[in-house]
Amino acid sequence: MLSDGSYIIAVSVLALIALGTRLSGAFLMAWVTPTPRIEKFLQGMSVSVIAALVASALVTADLKSFAATGSAIFIAALSRSVIWAMIAGMIVAAAYPQIF
Amino acid sequence: MVRNPQNVTLSAAGVARGMTRLLPICLFVVPFGIAFGIAATEGGIGPLQATAMSGLVFTATAQFAALDFLNDPVAFFSLGLVALALSGRHLIMGAALAQWINRLPPGKRFLTLMFLSDANFADTQTLLQRGDTDLGPLLGGGLMLWITWVASTGIGAFGGDLLINTEAFGFGVVMLCFFAATAFGMVRSTPSLVLPVFVAIGVSAATLPYLPNGWNIILAALLGGGVAAQCHAE
Repeated sequence: MLSDGSYIIAVSVLALIALGTRLSGAFLMAWVTPTPRIEKFLQGMSVSVIAALVASALVTADLKSFAATGSAIFIAALSRSVIWAMIAGMIVAAAYPQIF
Repeated sequence: MVRNPQNVTLSAAGVARGMTRLLPICLFVVPFGIAFGIAATEGGIGPLQATAMSGLVFTATAQFAALDFLNDPVAFFSLGLVALALSGRHLIMGAALAQWINRLPPGKRFLTLMFLSDANFADTQTLLQRGDTDLGPLLGGGLMLWITWVASTGIGAFGGDLLINTEAFGFGVVMLCFFAATAFGMVRSTPSLVLPVFVAIGVSAATLPYLPNGWNIILAALLGGGVAAQCHAE
């Protein structure tokens, strides 16, 4: 069980950390003079955080998720559309258990 | 990516566009929100409190992880560290968006950042790389995600004993496909990002067993950025 007092403190901690991390990235960058090198760093970070989320999830994922993600990338390469890529991934994920 | 973007705006039309763009993603957020609502109430948190938590925290991973800590006596310090690791990537996304965000007036800046999340960040990357300077879609996508997350938590928390199997809805897979296709699109438009992406993939996968959940992504993002900056220097 959780008392009302503990709930309020716990949710305040979570909410402040969530809001703090959301605000502070842009806030801190206000003091940094952008150079081409820093822009490259930020651009590299943008794509890396997305790629790292995918890789981190795939480490513990099943073959179905690998097949779906692979097909999504394949369709993204062909169609240049993220929506078609998602639809392809879903179809593969749904069909996978029927085939294997 | 445009250097020194001028005339950065936050248009209502852009907000509406962002809400529509993320609608398909949001459909897959629903079962997850319901699952969180059920898990939270089963863990002894009131339905209203669970829904308020989703509204105030708006970070699915941190909220699910926090459930393990929400029993008296609460280990507040550990709870804080876990939350920091799982929402630390917002800091990175905020820094990456800074050259656009910081051109908005403070109020609009605050409003937009409040709703920053993985999916609207990824979606907006595609638009910004194309040269767009309207941050409306970032805010709109975030609002749509927030509304969906809060509403679906409420359904789970108040609706009670529905049997929900989140795996069956394939939320994880759809999110993965969306992120993978977005990252692929970013690399295609900027081929110099190939190496940073592979470094990030390698680092996050290799350090996952050794680093607490969330830190592997932060480390991977920092190293990916470092490699991108280094490649530029050479």
